[in-house]
Amino acid sequence: MTALLRYQAALLVRSQRWLPPFLLYVVFLGIGVQGGQPILDSLGYTAAALLPVTAWLVRICVTNEPPAARSCVSAAVGPGRAHLAALLVALGTAVALGVVATVVVTLISNPASADLQTRVPRLPAGAAGLLAVLACALLGTAVGALTTWPLLRSTGRAIPAMLLAALLSVVVTGSPAQAAVSGLVTGSNSGRVPMPVLPLAAAALLTAAAIAVACALTSRRSP
Amino acid sequence: MQRDLRLDNVGRRYGLRGPWVLRGIHLTVPPGTLIRIEGPNGTGKSTLLRLLARIDAPSEGRVSGAPRTAYVPERFPTALPFTALGYLTHLGTVHGLSRPAATRAALEWLDRFGAAPYARTPMAQLSKGSSQKVAVVQALLAEPELLVLDEAWTGLDSDARAELERAVAERTAGGTAVVFVDHDPRRLAGVPDATYTVRDSGLDLRTEQPPEEAAGPRVTVVAQGPSGGQLPGDAQRAVVAAEEPAPGTHRLTVPASHSDILLRALLTARPPWHVVSVRQEPAGPDTESRR
Repeated sequence: MTALLRYQAALLVRSQRWLPPFLLYVVFLGIGVQGGQPILDSLGYTAAALLPVTAWLVRICVTNEPPAARSCVSAAVGPGRAHLAALLVALGTAVALGVVATVVVTLISNPASADLQTRVPRLPAGAAGLLAVLACALLGTAVGALTTWPLLRSTGRAIPAMLLAALLSVVVTGSPAQAAVSGLVTGSNSGRVPMPVLPLAAAALLTAAAIAVACALTSRRSP
Repeated sequence: MQRDLRLDNVGRRYGLRGPWVLRGIHLTVPPGTLIRIEGPNGTGKSTLLRLLARIDAPSEGRVSGAPRTAYVPERFPTALPFTALGYLTHLGTVHGLSRPAATRAALEWLDRFGAAPYARTPMAQLSKGSSQKVAVVQALLAEPELLVLDEAWTGLDSDARAELERAVAERTAGGTAVVFVDHDPRRLAGVPDATYTVRDSGLDLRTEQPPEEAAGPRVTVVAQGPSGGQLPGDAQRAVVAAEEPAPGTHRLTVPASHSDILLRALLTARPPWHVVSVRQEPAGPDTESRR
């Protein structure tokens, strides 16, 4: 599995297709986060913006390998594992991106509540931000995995489906990502740091199920 | 672990209500066998190979056995952001080799196929034939237990085609099962243990002898062995014709792809045989009449 992950990671890095989603995330953050803003609000935004970026990264990792090359790898390790490696590399990249962004945002933000009346300690706030980022990266992986090959093959259907699903996962009540992000925002209003452990666990379960479905279908759909 | 690959009543169709591409397929692939699959275009040969390589799952029936498998697709893409050697090293490690071993094996095999000069060329700049060599090397470098070749010879130059035939002979002698599709009837002619034809989404075992003109190039080896000696096992399997003009002297004919196998078997036998001469016979129907 290590060799497989290394291969997929090299494929992503060398293809340079990671650059557009990376830039999109930088632009998202550039617009939404400025130094000296309330810390929990900014961390919530950082996490929410990561979800569509992750879904895009998943799409890139899954479609990066030409079908014939994927067949060679699938014959060696099984199609499910080959697909799993692509999904995990996308997830890992998104988590790395989110962690770096969270650290930066934690350092440049104002450690205060939204009304600037209550002090919010940086360290617990950063930790809460990390949990929210993880939840969003996981859910973004689920969205990406369910809206690309092998579930949706035509690009014309897959991309609108991915965008819609990513949007809904951020805004619809009941989504773990929405719960994690809104937890940070309400925390910012009250000045109390929430720990979005429950949303993270829910996101992990949902994503594991989505990944399992996607990997199980790889050998049943045509390339 | 069970190394025999078995298809039991296997069927495959694309989509939930698509037409059956293959149905009712029974096939066992024991280690060390060479199997040829024939059939016109679009009859499901590639689908069968994908089932055998376990890239696709059957829509019905069961595939059992888990040999370490390598697969060569009929057309290999160059749209990979690696050099030939970089890609092969990655694939070698995916096949289970260590990084240094993968690099070493990749260089060795690239050299055998005359592609060593391209080892550090980006895949995107390779010609179609050279990228096909990369696809072939990818499959051979980790010595798989099952080798699935989907028109792997297409696009290779004649030296590389002969080398691939020799590599297949070597692998089968080493215990690898090989299943291949190729449109040239002279490809490994006379060598496969079984030839199947895909017809009407089913699989027929071909029983009639192939026509004589389908014979490929042959090599005749004259060797002296222990008087009344039996041929070594590997040699016995490779030889297509054997005669004993004088006691202890044997004239053995093998497909050109198997000459190395025969010589190795003779020279490493206990006690070893003495090789007197090795001669290449031209391909074609006149081979028989000249003798």
